[in-house]
Amino acid sequence: MTAAAPAAGGTDVIRSPLVASVEGLKVHFGTKGGRIHAVDGVSFDIRDGETLGLVGETGCGKSVTARSFLRLVQSPPGIYAGGRIRFWSSLARRTGADPVDLLSISQDDLLDIRGNRIAMIFQDPGKALNPALSIREQVAEVFYQHRSDDLLYGLADDPPLIIRRAAGQRARGLERLLLKLPPLRGHAAKLRSRVDVHVAEALAETQIANPRKIMDSYPHELSGGMKQRVMIAQALACNPDLLIADEPTTALDVTIQAKILELIRQLQHRHQTSVLYISHDLSLIRQTSDRVAVMYAGRIAEVGDSDAIFSDPLHPYTRGLLAAVPSASHKRGGLAAIEGNVPELVDPPPSCHFHTRCPFAVELCRSLDPELEMVNGHGVACFAHASAEHLGVMPEELPSFAKRTR
Amino acid sequence: MQIREYILRRLMILPLIVVGTSIIVFSLSRVGGNPIAIYLEHEMTPAEVAEIEERYGLNEPLPVQYLAWAGGVLTGDMGWSAVSAQPVTEALFSRIGATLEMAIFAAIVAITLGIGLGTFGGARRDRLPDHLTRIFSISGASMPIFWFAILLLILFWVNLGWFSTGRSSPEIFASIAHPTGLYTVDALLAGNLGAFLNAIRFLTLPAITLGFGATAIIARMMRSSLVEELNEDYVDAARAKGLPERLVLRRHARRNALIPTVTVIGLGFGFLLQGTVVVEIIFRWPGIGRWMADAVLRGDQATIMAYVLFTSILFLSVNLIVDVMYAYLDRRVVLGG
Repeated sequence: MTAAAPAAGGTDVIRSPLVASVEGLKVHFGTKGGRIHAVDGVSFDIRDGETLGLVGETGCGKSVTARSFLRLVQSPPGIYAGGRIRFWSSLARRTGADPVDLLSISQDDLLDIRGNRIAMIFQDPGKALNPALSIREQVAEVFYQHRSDDLLYGLADDPPLIIRRAAGQRARGLERLLLKLPPLRGHAAKLRSRVDVHVAEALAETQIANPRKIMDSYPHELSGGMKQRVMIAQALACNPDLLIADEPTTALDVTIQAKILELIRQLQHRHQTSVLYISHDLSLIRQTSDRVAVMYAGRIAEVGDSDAIFSDPLHPYTRGLLAAVPSASHKRGGLAAIEGNVPELVDPPPSCHFHTRCPFAVELCRSLDPELEMVNGHGVACFAHASAEHLGVMPEELPSFAKRTR
Repeated sequence: MQIREYILRRLMILPLIVVGTSIIVFSLSRVGGNPIAIYLEHEMTPAEVAEIEERYGLNEPLPVQYLAWAGGVLTGDMGWSAVSAQPVTEALFSRIGATLEMAIFAAIVAITLGIGLGTFGGARRDRLPDHLTRIFSISGASMPIFWFAILLLILFWVNLGWFSTGRSSPEIFASIAHPTGLYTVDALLAGNLGAFLNAIRFLTLPAITLGFGATAIIARMMRSSLVEELNEDYVDAARAKGLPERLVLRRHARRNALIPTVTVIGLGFGFLLQGTVVVEIIFRWPGIGRWMADAVLRGDQATIMAYVLFTSILFLSVNLIVDVMYAYLDRRVVLGG
C-alpha cells in the first residue's frame, strides 16, 4: 500500500508535526483454517495535538490496529506480518531525533514507551481494572514504573539500594520483607507518601471529588464512570504524547458517556496530547475527531478531515454507513442498511474487500487491491476514484457510482 | 476494618459448625453397628450383654447418650480405646504429632510445588513446560496413592537404600525431649542437627507420597485459572502501563488466579487427611491414620468417633484459614453475607 506518505505533498507543511505514522500495517492470526488477515495493510498518520477517529464495524480490525501501537496483540496466534508504526516522542520531536518503529524496538524500549509516552484506555473499565488491587496500588504502578527517579529525588541524599529498587518496582520477595523492617521502614513510608501525592493529583485531574478516599477503594466499590476516570487518570499520569482510547464509553451510560468525552477533550487540550479514538459510533467520532479513518475488513477505506468525510464521503462503504445513521432530518423508516456481511478474512485473494457488498462493484474490484488515493484532499481506496491510466486499464472497466451493478 | 469483622464473624460461626459435626459423627456411629461389639465374646449370655449395655448407658435415649459423650469430649474424656488399650485421649495425643508432621510437610510440598508448577505451566500456555505440567497433574490425580508409595519404596528403599520406613532411628530420638511431638521441630529445639536430618530422612518419602495427589490438583487448578486470568483485560491494561512481564504475572494475574486455587487447597487438605491412612500403613508411620484403620477393622467405635471428630475440626480450621485468605485476596468476598 502506498497510502498518503508522511511529509509528502505540499499540504503537509502547514499541518502540525507527526506523532505517529502507521505504514502498511499487517497483523495476521494463524488458525487451523488458515491465516486471518485481521489488519491487512493499514496506513494513516496521527499529528501533534489532533484527534484521529478510527471508525469501523465490529471485527474490522480497528482494535487490533490500536493494540499494535503497544504490541499488545497476543502472539501466538497474532503475527505482525508487515509494515511499521513510526513514533515520534515529544523528546524526539524537540531534538529532531529519528522516530522509533514500535513494531521492531526492543522489549525494554517498548516498556519505556508503554504507559509513559503512549497510553491506552480500554473499552470496559470494569474489566480493565484489577479487582484484587486497590485504586492506589494500580495508579501508583505507573509512577513507580516511569517516574522512579523523580520519586527518589530529594528523598534522601543517597537512598539505600533497596529503596532505589523499590522505587523502580524491582524489589523481590526478601527485599520486600526488609522494607517492612525498622532501618528501611521510614524510607519506604516516605516513598509511599510521595507516590500517594502523585496518585491523588492524577485522580484529582480527572475531577474525582475525593481522591484520597477513592485511592483506598477497590474497583467493585466504584461506579462505571468512576472506574473510567481512574483509567484515564492512570493513562494520563505520565503526560503521554499519544492516548489510544479504544471505545472508552461503549460500556457506560449515555449521560456518563458525555461527561467522559468532555473530560478526555479537556485533558487533551491541557496536556497537548494526540488521541487515537476508536469507535463503531459514527456520531461520536464526528463529535470528537479532527480527522477520521474509516476501516473496513482490515483495511482503510477512506481517511480525511472529519468535515470532509461527513459532508462528502467518497467510498461506497462510508456512504452506506452514513446512510445508516439516524438523524433528525431522516424520515421514519428511512434508514438504509448495507446489504450482506463482512467477508471472511482467511487468506483473502487480491480484491477490494468491500466488493461482496458494494452495489457498484465490477470485475476489477474482484481481482485487484485498491490503494488509498488522494481525492479532494482526502484518501480513498476505491477504483471509482482511481485513474484508469495509472492502473493500466480501460476507463470503462472502472466502477462508476452512476451504474449500479446489483 | 471490614476484613477484621469478617474474620470475627467466621470465628463465631465455627463452634456452631463443630456442634453440628459432632451430632453427625455421633449419629453415624449409632447407624454403623453396635458400639459395644468390640467387648463382646461368643460365650456371653444376653443377660451379660445387657449388663454391659447398662454399664455404658446404651439403654438411655439417644439424645442423653449424645450429651454424655459430648460432655466427655469437652472434659477430655473420649472413652477407652480398645485397639491401643489406653484412654482415647491419651492414644490420640501420642499419635497426632506424627500425622500432623507428615501432613504439614506434605501440604508445604503440595502448595509450593503446586502453585509453582501451575504458574510455570500456565504462563507458558501450550508450550513444552505447559504440556509437562499437565502430564504431571494428570498422573498425580489419577495414580493410586498406594501404588505410587510402593514404587517409591522399591526405588529409594530397596534399590538405593536412601530412605527407610518407620519414623526415625529409635536410638537417636530416645535421647531428645519431645515437647511438640513433631520430630523435626523437636530436633531443632534440641539443637541436634543429626536428629533433624534423621527425621527428614524418614519423613521425605511419606510426605512426597501424601502430597503428590494434592500437588497435582493444585497445579491443575492454578494453571487453568492463570490461563483464564491472563486473557482478562486488566492484564493487557497492566502491560499497557509499561509493567514488565514479571510484575504483570506476579502482581496482577497470579494474585487473581490464586483465588480459586486457595479454595482447592482447602479441599485438598481433606484429601491429605484421607491419604494419611494408606500412607501410614505402607510406611509404618505411627500416626492416627493407622490407628483409625485398626479401629475400623475391629469396630472400636470410641476410637473412630474421636478420629472423625478430630479430623473434622482440623478440616474446618484449615478451611477457616482458607476463607480468611480468600477475603484478603478478593475484597468482594467481605461484602457478601
